[in-house]
Amino acid sequence: MAFQTTAPVLQNRQIGPDSYALEMDCPPIAEAAKAGQFVMVRVSPKGHPLLRRPFSIAESYSPASPNPENRGHLLILYKKVGKGTELMTHWEEGVEVDLIGPLGRGYTLPPSPSPGPIVLLGGGVGVASLYALWSRLKDRNVSILVGAKTKDDILWPFHDPSIKEALRIATEDGSLGWKGTVLDLFLTFVRENRKERPLHIYACGPMGMLKGLSDLTRSESMVVEASLEARMGCGLGACWGCVVKTTDPVMPYHRVCKEGPVFDLKKIVWEE
Amino acid sequence: MRHQGSPDLSVRIGRITLKNPVITASGTFGFGREFEDFIDLSQLGAIIPKGISLRPMPGNRPPRLFETDCGLINSIGLQNPGFEAFVKHHLPYLQAIDTHVIVNFFGSTIEEYVELARRFDEIPYLSGLEMNISCPNVSCGGISFCSDLNMTYELVREVRKATRLTLLVKLSPHVTDMGAWARCCEEAGADGVSLVNTFKALALNVQTRKAELGNLFGGLSGPAIKPIALRMVWEASQAVKIPVVGIGGIMNAEDAIAFLLVGATAVEIGTANLVNPRSSVEIVQGIRDYLDRNGIPSVSALTGLFLRENR
Repeated sequence: MAFQTTAPVLQNRQIGPDSYALEMDCPPIAEAAKAGQFVMVRVSPKGHPLLRRPFSIAESYSPASPNPENRGHLLILYKKVGKGTELMTHWEEGVEVDLIGPLGRGYTLPPSPSPGPIVLLGGGVGVASLYALWSRLKDRNVSILVGAKTKDDILWPFHDPSIKEALRIATEDGSLGWKGTVLDLFLTFVRENRKERPLHIYACGPMGMLKGLSDLTRSESMVVEASLEARMGCGLGACWGCVVKTTDPVMPYHRVCKEGPVFDLKKIVWEE
Repeated sequence: MRHQGSPDLSVRIGRITLKNPVITASGTFGFGREFEDFIDLSQLGAIIPKGISLRPMPGNRPPRLFETDCGLINSIGLQNPGFEAFVKHHLPYLQAIDTHVIVNFFGSTIEEYVELARRFDEIPYLSGLEMNISCPNVSCGGISFCSDLNMTYELVREVRKATRLTLLVKLSPHVTDMGAWARCCEEAGADGVSLVNTFKALALNVQTRKAELGNLFGGLSGPAIKPIALRMVWEASQAVKIPVVGIGGIMNAEDAIAFLLVGATAVEIGTANLVNPRSSVEIVQGIRDYLDRNGIPSVSALTGLFLRENR
């Protein structure tokens, strides 16, 4: 079940040079959301820009959450990249946001107890959905590997400090954590945990990173679920605009918004 | 000036009576089910699900969408599961809804169009057909038909012979004399014409010097095309006696009413469904309110009112 509703902005916080964390009060969507699902946000009620923008849910708290301060809250992360996200940066506390969600197929949680280590691997604004997943797995053997160009590009919206123990960071300029890409960091992790298989890997980030991960994990005994990004029309599965090519022999193009955004990475066909 | 009772929203197209003039446009409304969380589907005048071909079609390579100022260019490429899978997996759901289902279909030859029309004709409780002869994105979507009046006449006439269902023909905007095309369909036996389909368009990224769409060209829809579509509906509705269904950038009730005023019997809501899944039912309500406020007794009294008042 998805909802179209309005949600007041609680906080619209800048967390990096062009990155923001938008917290809204939205009990129906927060209650129903699963890790890996997303919301479609109407950025302009007047229709300029026209289409809604999709954002992964980074945090969601049930209206029955033990902490009364976050009950029914929904958090998304966004980066100012165009007209739509530029408008969003001006939203102040109390602005009513037109939202649809939760949408799409989220991550499949690993079996409990997991037969091997769990790795969450993310880059850029794609880390949002991994944060949602981490909050459901934090009592287990989970490592989060996050990469960015510089330390300023690492998105850090957390209220929960316990994530630090699970987190390993790579920056391409070495300004924070490991120097290199998140895939370099991943290879190191794989070597360190060579005896432990299978690895359960959950990934979200730019298509280049996911393609790289696909190449690295193809032959290994690893289960990889990846959340994909695509230009979306409706987010509801109605327009077939956001497709990705898969190994499906009959109908190769699957909808990122409906069959995804989370896919088995081995089923994605990378086109030139 | 107020009339008594609530206004009559019903309209007639061919053999069917729609409870109101609001129809969802093919390709923007999936198979209906995608919208069940947001609206009561039975409040629609009719549902036109995604266009169907005889065999499954994989569609075009992505990217398939590009947003422009006040518009959207798509090159979906008519991806669809084909006749059999549609009838098996999607039609039963649609038929259970208390509204009309008008099936949009297309082929690459006259024989394919006729074959599909014949097969749909055998399905009980189907309300009508809309034949797409105007998709700008694929060579088999009929665009070749809509560049030749004689071919269009022959195609529509053959399909007409194959079905007793209410038959709409969906027209391309890429013609100079819309009236002539509407007349051609009327003479060939169509029960109505729906217009316009999208405008063939191109978007480039000047940084990469590549096209924004995987298919190079796409079809432009949305508010950007509305004034041109409105002019074409104005032309078509004066050329024929059969109903004209207006399509093109209708985002709200005011837009829909403009199309009715220039002679449309009904309207199709397309791109607006993607932006606001409640658009179609909000437009039904908006038309009702407008009739109420202006003391107009029925939608049929609204149809063509602009033409009658500005002769």
